[in-house]
Amino acid sequence: MGTEKIKAAYDNLQTEDVLKKAKELGLDNDILVHMYRTMIKIRLFEEKADQLYALGKVHGTMHLSAGQEAVAVGAGFVTRDDDYLLNHHRGHGHFIASGADINKMMAEFLGKETGYCHGRGGSMHIADITANNLGANGIVGGGIELAAGVGLAVQMRKTDQLVLVLFGDGAANEGIFHESLNMSAIWELPVIYLCENNHYGMSAEVARVSSKVPFKDRALAHGIPGYFIDGNDVLAVYEFMKNAAEYTRTDKGPVFIEVETYRYFGHSKSDRNLYRSREEIETWKKRDPILRFEKLLIDAKLIDNVKVKEIYQEMGILIEKAVTFAENSPEPEIKDVMEWVYA
Amino acid sequence: MPEITYRGAIHDAMVEEMRRDERVFLIGEDIGVYGGAFGVSQGMLAEFGPGRIRETPISEQAIVGAAAGAAMVGMRPIAELMFMDFVLLAMEPLVNQAAKARYMFGGKAKVPMVIRMPSGSGTGAAAQHSQSLESILMHIPGIKVVAPSTPYDAKGLLISSIRDPNPVCFVEHKLLYKIKGEVPAEEYSIPLGVADIKHEGRDITVVTSGIMVQKSIAVARKLEAEGISIEVIDPRTLRPLDTDAIARSVKKTGRLLVVHEAVKTGGWAGEVMASVSESPAFDYLDSPMRRLTGKDIPIPYNRNLEAAAVPQEEDIEREIRAILNNQY
Amino acid sequence: MPTPFIMPKMDMDQETVTIIEWLKKEGDKVEKGEPVIVIETDKITSEVEAPASGELAGILYKENEETPVTKVVAYILADGESEADLPKVAEKSEPKDEEMVNKDEGTADQLTTQKAATPVAERLASALHININQIPSSGQRVTKADVETYIKSLDGVQPRVSVAATPAARRVATEKGISLESLTGSGPRGRVQEVDVLEAASTQTPETRKPAGIPATSIPVVGMRKRIAERMTASYQAAPHIYLTVEGDMTEAENSRKRLNALADKQARPKVSVTAYLVKMVAWVLKRHPYLNASLIDNEIQLWDEVHIGIATALENGLIVPVIHDADTRSIDEINECLRNLTRQAYNGELSKEEIEGGTFTISNLGMYGVKSFTAIINPPQSAILAVGSLVRKPVVIDENDTIAVRPILTMTLAADHRIVDGVTAAEFLSDLVGVLETPDSVIFQKIN
Repeated sequence: MGTEKIKAAYDNLQTEDVLKKAKELGLDNDILVHMYRTMIKIRLFEEKADQLYALGKVHGTMHLSAGQEAVAVGAGFVTRDDDYLLNHHRGHGHFIASGADINKMMAEFLGKETGYCHGRGGSMHIADITANNLGANGIVGGGIELAAGVGLAVQMRKTDQLVLVLFGDGAANEGIFHESLNMSAIWELPVIYLCENNHYGMSAEVARVSSKVPFKDRALAHGIPGYFIDGNDVLAVYEFMKNAAEYTRTDKGPVFIEVETYRYFGHSKSDRNLYRSREEIETWKKRDPILRFEKLLIDAKLIDNVKVKEIYQEMGILIEKAVTFAENSPEPEIKDVMEWVYA
Repeated sequence: MPEITYRGAIHDAMVEEMRRDERVFLIGEDIGVYGGAFGVSQGMLAEFGPGRIRETPISEQAIVGAAAGAAMVGMRPIAELMFMDFVLLAMEPLVNQAAKARYMFGGKAKVPMVIRMPSGSGTGAAAQHSQSLESILMHIPGIKVVAPSTPYDAKGLLISSIRDPNPVCFVEHKLLYKIKGEVPAEEYSIPLGVADIKHEGRDITVVTSGIMVQKSIAVARKLEAEGISIEVIDPRTLRPLDTDAIARSVKKTGRLLVVHEAVKTGGWAGEVMASVSESPAFDYLDSPMRRLTGKDIPIPYNRNLEAAAVPQEEDIEREIRAILNNQY
Repeated sequence: MPTPFIMPKMDMDQETVTIIEWLKKEGDKVEKGEPVIVIETDKITSEVEAPASGELAGILYKENEETPVTKVVAYILADGESEADLPKVAEKSEPKDEEMVNKDEGTADQLTTQKAATPVAERLASALHININQIPSSGQRVTKADVETYIKSLDGVQPRVSVAATPAARRVATEKGISLESLTGSGPRGRVQEVDVLEAASTQTPETRKPAGIPATSIPVVGMRKRIAERMTASYQAAPHIYLTVEGDMTEAENSRKRLNALADKQARPKVSVTAYLVKMVAWVLKRHPYLNASLIDNEIQLWDEVHIGIATALENGLIVPVIHDADTRSIDEINECLRNLTRQAYNGELSKEEIEGGTFTISNLGMYGVKSFTAIINPPQSAILAVGSLVRKPVVIDENDTIAVRPILTMTLAADHRIVDGVTAAEFLSDLVGVLETPDSVIFQKIN
């Protein structure tokens, strides 16, 4: 595998070649359409979350990942149900791609008892422990911190599960980044470090605050294979994830994949986008991962415009149902506020 | 009954649990061939191998983070930090991750891990290697804090801590490693959250922990000869604190002195005193509750200054006499 | 150079002596070694000798003054020296008396203080609801400055409760029905400890515990009842009472009173009561026995110049003591009139503050109830109280021939504060009182000042 960023790997290929490559990767037509559907689901979900917030229905804040759907779907379709996921605060997409129940997600945003965390966690802490989803983390680098330990447990138990830890360009500058990579490297732990480089921490542009980019070079410094790819190319993401999964499941150690992507919404709901220009956002929207994939699928005649509309409608309805479910759900009882501090 | 050292008791607890439960493993710096900075894990590498005696780089945040991650997916790690002072590097995974996972994930997660750490002054290690930080740890809901003062307590409490499904901070005073005490050969454990009356008395209740338990007992025995009867209570677990036992004792004696090495301001003596004030024992207090603690300074290097920084037997005796003579 | 005459220190922890008498005065010649001053220390009376021969001059401390030891009290002038040679008068280093003795006390609300304090300090503390025991004193007693310093130290915070006491003390006090204010605290800063309450409880009468199961009407101890309870307790505890009883043959007194009343009838004036009669007599005798008309204040016995006699008067729910002021200067008719008015006002609840203040002696008469004799509790800060029983006609021996006759006998019991009044002093008073009662004309016809 190469070590440079593979730009627009599939863009330059003819459609039929892309399809051929997809088949090589084990992706038949149905899966491809399902990937597309999932990306739309994520996009609509994030837009709906934004609306709910604008209507004042969500307490606190949210970190929306619209624009980064290809990463979520590309990686999420590789991992197995029994693999561990350590998510970050902008992780709704990853959660959905791993098969989460969006009803429970919406309910958690609204702080309801029926949410994934019974309303105790909110957007930043959604988890489904029994499904090996070890939670979104409000601490930047929090997942990285736990990842080596999870990988260690897998290794000690001698299974072929892998640990997928997601983080952003901001987390790559935390001290724990190096401690975790170091530890995973020396013990050859089954951890895939997936860095979503969307160019901004909160408002700080990557180049301004990072001494050595791309971050995959830092992984290389620790002796870990590192790759930098176009994160808005869902198939590219899938390909590299698949290879990394095979590598790491066979006890060869951790892998570092850096994906370049972009977020449309601000960092959080209080972000007024003062640090980037409208032009920049528009430029990135031209490389929108959903539109790119849509174009590919239409070219390959796997879907047509009617189907597109259908899928948008279908996903839209699912999301409306989720909102209804959440709004009709009960609040947690005050008397239970002291529950679950200790096991 | 066999007599073993405090260090030996902790060693035995870990060995027995690791034999009993393959999920238990030890992770930390220099715990392998070196046998641990304070010699606690000697011989364990030979028995359990490098997989379960997992030596790490110097990465306290990653050590405790790894322990938390492994615990979250069903292992039972024991993380050894070389000095309690270094837990500050690991506060993030301890406080923001391990302590909160169960609550913020709605009761679904469990983090059964133990962090062992040597604490306290008296070895000339100076400011950054001599702290008693249990007051800070006690402040975090979701973790438990245990501080044994005898070999018997150490072994029984560590076994319970390892079996506890919550993150437990296990605080071992450095000067206690070499003390000896009777420890049964048969399997036993001591429940967390239960205080122990180390010396019964009627005139004053002294609540104390760690090395101060030893000092307080010595003072109690000395004053016994004068007819002064001191009750020494060792909470053993600081969080959750056995406030009932303390209140019962204060109701009996009417006087309270809390002795700890930790620094005065924000120190856990305040917690004990507040809990007594909140209990029915308040009506039985016949003099102001007092505390004798470490001074509000970093631990100095010079031997005499170091000793002056924390309570010694003479200080404990003087304070008890002053209280009993109604000086306050 | 005049020789300084220094008051010697004779005891290790002695700081002052009291000059009883200067045996010589300024201008007198003294000889070296000659006793010049008679002093009294805590222990004994002794003499101080002149340190040199010469003329006594420049006396700095008078008789009855508390004089510091090791300080100059006078000078001895050598031949040829005169007063011009005396050094400028050194500042007298005596403990300054902060206030003049204030006679304005005797209200029903005042309690005897446990801690020594000046009257002004007491008043200030009382007005601010501060327990005087809580105030650290800079000297031997709490002064006004001490109170002010204490208040400043509290940032103007007035403690919510008047007594510092531990929780354990409060609990036991509540359990045993003991008032904390009546206790002296053994703890630091006068704090009441549990043991103080337990000690007080052990001296209580069994009646304080309510026997279970017996129906009763509960009357809370508040208001006047509470004040009386507190005052009587405080008086009883603070003043060591001695009791002396005499019997007086009231034949002459009764005859005298009858004659007065016959005249009164003719002049359409009210009859003179037994009590008014007694007041007149007692006032006259008190003038001649000043220690019975005195108070102990700030470690000084004040022998009052005036005689104000209080009459213990029973009301429906308590006791009040209106005062007949200047009883010694009034005629028996005036006294009688005054007494009648006060009694009426007392029953109507119309007594003013002035009318119950300032008493220097109290008479309590239960004779109208047939009580033959009884003992009373001194009304602080007075030094004595006279308890008068009923007039009983009984056979007594009336002469050396052991002749028996039936005479009206009045039994009177004097209670006196032994800190002020010794047994003999009290006895002499009573003896005189009996004397004038048995020969009343000497008093009745005395010139009124």
